[in-house]
Amino acid sequence: MTADGLFFYFVAFMTMGGIYAILCLALNMQWGFGGLFNAGIAGFYAVGAYTGAILTSARSASHVGGFDLPIVVGLIVAGILSGLVGWAIARICVRLKADYLAMASIGIAEIIRLIVVNEEWLTNGSLGIAGIPRPLEKLFNGREAELVFVVFVWILVAVTYLVAQRLRVSPWGRVMRAIRDNDVAAASIGKDIQRFQTETFIVGAVFMGIAGALSAHYFKFFSPDATEPLLVTFLTWVMLIAGGSGNNRGAIAGALIIWAIWSLTEMLTNQLPTEWATRSAYIRMLLIGLFLQFVLQRFRSGLVPEKPPELRPR
Amino acid sequence: MKLTARSLIATALAAAIVSTGVAAEDVKVGALMGITGPLANFIPPILNAAKLAEADVNAGGGILGGGKFTLVVSDGQAAAQPSVDAASKLVNLENVAAIMGGLSSGATVAAANAVSIPNKVLQLSPTATTPVMTDMEDDDYVFRIVPSDNYQGRVLAKIVLDEGIKKVAVAYVNNDYGVGIAGTFKAAYESMGGTVAAYEKHEDKKNSYRGELATMAGSGAEALVVIAYAGGSGAKIVKQSLENGFFDRFIGTDGLRDDILIEQVGADALATSFFSAPTSPADNPIAGPFHERFDKAYGEGSDKPFVDQSYDATMLIALAIEKAGSTDRTAIRDALREVSNAPGEIIQPGEWNKAVKLIAAGTDINYEGVSGQHEFDAAGDVSGYIGKFIVKGDTYEQIGIFE
Repeated sequence: MTADGLFFYFVAFMTMGGIYAILCLALNMQWGFGGLFNAGIAGFYAVGAYTGAILTSARSASHVGGFDLPIVVGLIVAGILSGLVGWAIARICVRLKADYLAMASIGIAEIIRLIVVNEEWLTNGSLGIAGIPRPLEKLFNGREAELVFVVFVWILVAVTYLVAQRLRVSPWGRVMRAIRDNDVAAASIGKDIQRFQTETFIVGAVFMGIAGALSAHYFKFFSPDATEPLLVTFLTWVMLIAGGSGNNRGAIAGALIIWAIWSLTEMLTNQLPTEWATRSAYIRMLLIGLFLQFVLQRFRSGLVPEKPPELRPR
Repeated sequence: MKLTARSLIATALAAAIVSTGVAAEDVKVGALMGITGPLANFIPPILNAAKLAEADVNAGGGILGGGKFTLVVSDGQAAAQPSVDAASKLVNLENVAAIMGGLSSGATVAAANAVSIPNKVLQLSPTATTPVMTDMEDDDYVFRIVPSDNYQGRVLAKIVLDEGIKKVAVAYVNNDYGVGIAGTFKAAYESMGGTVAAYEKHEDKKNSYRGELATMAGSGAEALVVIAYAGGSGAKIVKQSLENGFFDRFIGTDGLRDDILIEQVGADALATSFFSAPTSPADNPIAGPFHERFDKAYGEGSDKPFVDQSYDATMLIALAIEKAGSTDRTAIRDALREVSNAPGEIIQPGEWNKAVKLIAAGTDINYEGVSGQHEFDAAGDVSGYIGKFIVKGDTYEQIGIFE
């Protein structure tokens, strides 16, 4: 293990961790502020990833486009399209109570997955989209390019965080918390619950789409196996719950801590004798489960619990 | 004069120090495997094959002047995100000299783009067949020792036309395997004058395919090309076609060429059918002894998929490192073609010691493995061999071989 090896592992770690942090902040807007149980994160992630991939990749015979547009355009359109899908779903499902919304959103994520796998003219199906660019790729290569990309990811994490913080302290955020905690009471003082819930669902979906597009740029290749619900939906939920739902800093901390456990437990299990190589991977899964049990038992409301913002005097 | 003598002695001393001072260097190579996740069932024999190569190197005197050759196994879960993370740990924390792996195509390409290529590490996949890898901008750091899906599709088209079959229907499973081979088969078959009368994809693991099959049967095709796994949808498609009289002649790829198929439909019903599958060269005398040795070491599993490729990939990486003479990652990349491609003195599995001596003597070597000769082209692909198989008794017999 060398010093620069350690540093570049950290860079790779923070890149993936940053993408998860955006997903986690987005879920925090939906669940932490709004109490909306979205179990279809992978669907929005896929919409964003494929939008970004199709818009920014070079022209290809195997799928629609690519349109070779700037990455920033790809990211914005990815957010908008994912938000539109969020709007459509919210129009249909947002009135459902938590557990029904969860079921409906799983179903919709599955529909999106089937579209992605089957509509080959659009996404090249299971073969995936290749040749997706990264920002400033022409100017930097090798390890420098990794540094550029991690900075790019964390600029977007910062933007997402600022938006989430601003929403949290705004009157809109207060209404959302009121609806989350007691929707009947909120309705009784004249708040349009469905409108607020639709809005929060859309905002979350926009950032999930952006996280998806970032993954596509990071891998420079995107195929349906990267939208595996275990790795997207489930892991994001674990991060938010462990970090502290309702708290934006908790969401980022949760994303990094869980990703660290996911990543670092392998170093522990690698110390086992080599005959255990196939078994150690499963031991690692066990360790992750045990840690989650510990956090959930010990810190009921996450590592960084929610603190309602103080009212700011006018 | 005195000065010259002294400097001569100094030079001799320095040379002596250098020659004894080439301390044996221990070498670590990463094995990026999908131990958990969708490919979990395939892993134990594949990993054992890599371990056998590791043991062969160490038993044959070690690497880089007697150093220990170690495989660092890492779990990429056969998906993009964890494979990138696992590859990053191998390269940055374990400081491996090269990576053997990436099993599934999506995991391999993502790990290569996000880790191996930017960090300038050689990555050699034993199993990834996606056509995407051929055109990837990889600075020549990414190789594989299985033919691209494109290759089997093209060869199969030729085999079918050689049989005199001019009109077929194609049923293929909707994943990267099925879509990849079916697409290139169709293009090649039509360009050589055949007609694809029906072309239908299907989802794996359904109970009935009668609807799709009835449509295809009406197309007037002489035979049904099935590109699917026998254990998934393949055997069911063949069985239901026979039961309903849709088709009685089948053409399959390596996914269908499985004992399960014969068990489920019987050898008689497959009398006119034939199959294609990547194979070793016809007169490859290497495979038999290797499989015996494998089974002796691990009890069983030498007939499992990608055992041969996994051994060869590990061995090729070890040879490239020995040839490079150091763990310099770019030098290893440059050495890979030198040790694998003709011309050169032929090295076979288990001949590590001989290879080391030849490399030390500066002789060019050419590794010929269990799974083929591994002549890498400019894209880092191999062409390989596709065999033609028919059913005989209760097993498959190879009756032809195509390059």
